[in-house]
Formats: sequence, structure tokens, C-alpha cells
Amino acid sequence: MPRTLLIGLDGATFRILDPLMADGVMPFLRTFIAGGVRAGLLSTINPVTPPAWTTVMTGRSPGHHGVFDFVRAEERHGEVYFTLYDARDIDCETIWTIVSRHGMKVTSLNFPMMYPHPDISGFVIPGLTSWRHLKLGTRPPELYERLRQLDGLDFKQMAWDFELGKKVVYGVEPEEVESWVRFHIQRENHWFTVARYLMEHDPCDLTAVLWDGPDKLFHICWRFLDPEYMPGAPTEWERTIRDLCLEYFRRLDSYLADLVTLAGPAAQTIIVSDHGFGPSTEELHLNTWLAEQGYLTWRAPRSDEEVNSASWKRRLKSNFVLLDWRCTKAYARTSSSNGIYIRRQQAPDDGGVPESEYESFRDELIRRLHGIVHPVTGERIIKKVLTREQAYPGPHSASAPDLTLVLRDSGFISIRHRAPALQLRAEVSGTHCPEGIFLAAGPGVARGATLDTLSIIDVAPAVLHSLGLAVPEDLEGRVPIEMFDSAWANSRAVRIGAATRWPSDGSAVAVDEVPDDPAGEAAIFERLKSLGYLE
Amino acid sequence: MEPAVRLEEQTILQDIVMILQEMTSDWDTGFIGGIGPETRLVHDLGCESIDVVQFVVAIEERFKRRNLPIEKLLMVDDRYVDDLRVAEVVAFLHRHLST
Repeated sequence: MPRTLLIGLDGATFRILDPLMADGVMPFLRTFIAGGVRAGLLSTINPVTPPAWTTVMTGRSPGHHGVFDFVRAEERHGEVYFTLYDARDIDCETIWTIVSRHGMKVTSLNFPMMYPHPDISGFVIPGLTSWRHLKLGTRPPELYERLRQLDGLDFKQMAWDFELGKKVVYGVEPEEVESWVRFHIQRENHWFTVARYLMEHDPCDLTAVLWDGPDKLFHICWRFLDPEYMPGAPTEWERTIRDLCLEYFRRLDSYLADLVTLAGPAAQTIIVSDHGFGPSTEELHLNTWLAEQGYLTWRAPRSDEEVNSASWKRRLKSNFVLLDWRCTKAYARTSSSNGIYIRRQQAPDDGGVPESEYESFRDELIRRLHGIVHPVTGERIIKKVLTREQAYPGPHSASAPDLTLVLRDSGFISIRHRAPALQLRAEVSGTHCPEGIFLAAGPGVARGATLDTLSIIDVAPAVLHSLGLAVPEDLEGRVPIEMFDSAWANSRAVRIGAATRWPSDGSAVAVDEVPDDPAGEAAIFERLKSLGYLE
Repeated sequence: MEPAVRLEEQTILQDIVMILQEMTSDWDTGFIGGIGPETRLVHDLGCESIDVVQFVVAIEERFKRRNLPIEKLLMVDDRYVDDLRVAEVVAFLHRHLST
């Protein structure tokens, strides 16, 4: 049986979970929290799945782990070549390999950025991977064939669907909402089936499973879940959707109950989200605004032949930006990055920004961005504009957007070619917010306590400490020792151990009982303090 | 020298065919016949953009090379190509794996 169960609930927020618990929809979660601890959990500066979950898995901030978004892009030969971030972009060791090289086994289910799968001792099925590639992404390979024998398990439903994923950003037609919720009810059941199967047949020291349905329901069904926006006199259809949403959370609650029961009374369970959620009522078409300001030029098709080409249609469909790069100085690549990239001049005839003018250009752009206001109220739409040095300090800062925007509703920009630049949404939708959830319960965990808000970089240290492992000295967070009762905390002092290993050193699966150095602990503690890691 | 070059291309072809066979083994593409040099990724195997991305990952993993100039394969005259033949992938890798 696992020593530690780590459950991810993508996008979970107390704003929705508290009413669901109060209304009896999630009775297990209510009992779990009553017998354990709860806290807000502050996400990464741009609270979005890839960087945030990678921070959960590494205990490092995006400037250090190097994952900033879903899509990675490089400007090559006057065009931008798009691909996806994957496991190889994580420039830090994950808790999966740290745990593995201490002789323990890990199950990691549905966590993003796990394709190609890491070399760990245990089981991996990656998240954000389409069913067509799930087989190659599963570790060990024979696990895929074993799971194929399970009654009712459908890899096509279980895996990530990139076409459906786009709907998270661009919305679902009303007639599709019901099937959207039903799909996610079924999908979560598949991940539960796999988690239960592995816990019953191949228990690991650390079992981690991520359900991403809360995020998908909040994006599309916010007005059916947030008491503030629920229809006062709902139509029959609205009641149906609301009931289905409640059914989703009832089932999720039962999955949590079953996994915690399976883990047994000796296990500690930690439940976290990568970010929170809240309402969004406006949409900022940032590239439209940049074009209006003269920073960006849209690219027209070069010929009728190109208009009719499959590649042009594919790119339009993909919502990737289609720009005239030589006449563009600043642009937003993706909605999810909330970022603006400033094009550096590559050659004298290139329209990018000369290196010597970069700082002044950036300052002027920041000033103008702060000038975007609501047309009626005159209120600022952008709460913060952060330079890459401010938003993403670390060795990978140069790969981050030049500017990161924090909108007043914490939502995402739009990169679509739509006017006007600022548009009110026809209906409220859900969007990511910085504060997610942290819950824990089990032997040694304090009972009924509400902790001060934690940081997402604290999750990895908490998991390692729960497993009885030392926390590598280069992790940026801390063990939230206040989550434990005094007897546990006194009997198991936090140990700071050797630094993490470079992911590519090939030694991740080797059993590695690195002796901890209690004598050096104080010195390391002082070093971390001096680096600002500890208060 | 010439036979050695041909052998190398043959080896790359075998690897690429193996990757595609593994990748598409349960896709139900309806493609009849074995994967070979003339097989087209989109038309024959039904690859979508995301499949091409994952195919590139699999190639990089198989040949232990990251950051191959894949854009030279996927983009011609500043435009993304509509389809790719296995032979084109093999020729590209033959050109770039030794550099």
C-alpha cells in the first residue's frame, strides 16, 4: 500500500467545492477536510496547466524548470515553427525520479509533460497525450496491454483529445454542453479504474493521479456551478446541466473516497490543484490591439492556391497566429501564455526591434498596455505587466515571453483576429485564478486546521517529506510543517538532502540511498535562507 | 563508399518504418499494405498535426538527437507542407543525422 497518495484536481477551487460540500454533493471531501488540513495554494505567475503541474512535480518555478505553456515556438528562417512542450523540456528532476532513485516505486497517472515517459521505477501514463500515442507513452509498455483487458476501459475516452481541448478556450455550443459533461464523467471513471487497478495489483510507495475534469467543467459550465451566477429561475435545460455537473462531482467524490480507502489507514493523502478558478466576463483580443497600435501586421494568404491549401486551413483551424513576421514587432503566440513576445531584429531589412532599442520599446509597450481601459467604466483591464526577469527569474528566463500580462479577472488573452480588441462575453465563463487548493489528511496530519496560503512550490517538498525522504537542497519551496500534528512534526524533522540530479544523467532508476547529512543541515538551512528560499 | 551510404539510408528507413508501425498499430487507419518509402503520413496513415509532432518526438528519441532542423522538412518556401512521404523523412534524416 502507498505511503503517500497525491491527487491532483485540475483547477479545483474552494469557491465551488465549499458549496458542493455544504450541499452534500461531496460528503467524503467534507469529512476528509474535517479530519485534516486545508489551505489556499498559490499557483505559478501564469496559472496554467503545463507550468503549474510541472512546478508541482519538480518543486521548481518555471524560470528554473523551463516549461511556460502548452506550445513551444521558435522563429526560424522568417517563420515561426510551433511544437509542443514535452517531458524533455523539463530541465529539473521530478519527484517521480527522486522517489525512484531512493528505491521506492511510483505510479504517475495523467500528469502533463510526461511524454516521452521518464525513466522511473513504477508506472507512468502521461496526460495531455492523445489516445493515438498513449501506447508509446505508457511505462512499462506491457502495462498498456494489461489495461486493455480491463472491462470497459476505453483509451480513446481516457486520453486527451486536442480538438476537445480547443473548446476549453473557444467555447462549446449550448447543444453540446450536456455531452461535454457526460464525456468528462466517463473520462474520469477511466482514470479511476486504472488507478484502482494499479493500487490493487501493483501498489507503489507513491501513487499520484490527476483528474482534469474540474477544469473542463469550470471553463464551460461556470454559470451552473458558481452560486453567484446560477440562473435564478432555471429552464429545464439549465436544470439538466446543473444536475449533470453535480453528478460529475458526486462521482469524483466517490473516486476520492475509494482511493483513500484503498491507500489504507497508514497512508497520508495530499490533494492539490494547479490553480483556482473564477468568473470571466470580458475578452481581450490582444493581437488585434497590437495591430491597432502598429506593433503587428496580419499575414494575408499569398495566393488563391495558398488559401485553398490544406496547410493554410490547418493553421487557421489551429488558432496559431498567422502574421507577417517582417512587419511585426510584438505579438501574442498563444492565449494560454498570457504573454507578448517582442521580435528582435534579425537583419537590417527585418522589421523586428533592434537590440539597442529593446528596453525603450518594451517600456513604451508596457505604458500603452496599462492604458487599455473598459470603454464604459474607464477601469484598467490589465492588472500587471511583468517583464520576463520579474515573472520568470531563472536560467530559462530568456525562453519566456518578454511580457506577461495579469488581467483583472486573472483570465486569458485571446489571440484571435477579432474586433473590437476588448469584447464583453455574451455569458460568463470560467477562467483560471491564482489560488487553488491544498488538502491533506492521514496519520500525523493535523486535524481540522485551516493553514495560511501555501505556494505551489511547497507541494513537492510536502510529498517527499511525507514519504520520509530528505528534501533536495535546490527545491525552491519548503515543507509546510504546520500541516502535521506536533507528535509527527517532532518525530520527523525536515531533512534537507543533496541537490536534485540532472534529468539526463541516466541514473534515475538506480537505487540511491544518498546519506543525509544532519551535521550540514544547519549550514544548508542558512544557505537557503540567504538565497531567499526560506523565511 | 556508395554502398555504405545506401546501407545507412536503408537503416534509417527501417527505423522510421518501425516507428510508424508502432505508432499506428491500433489506429484503424484502413491503410492497406505495408508502410514503405512511398507511404504518405497524412493521406495514407491519417496523421493529424499532433501526430506529426509526436512522430518527430519519436524520431528524436530513436536517434537520440534533439533540435533537428525539422522546419526544413515541414516547411517549404515558408509554407507548411500538406503531406510527407516516408522517403522524404528518410532523406532528411540522412542529410542531417551526420551533421
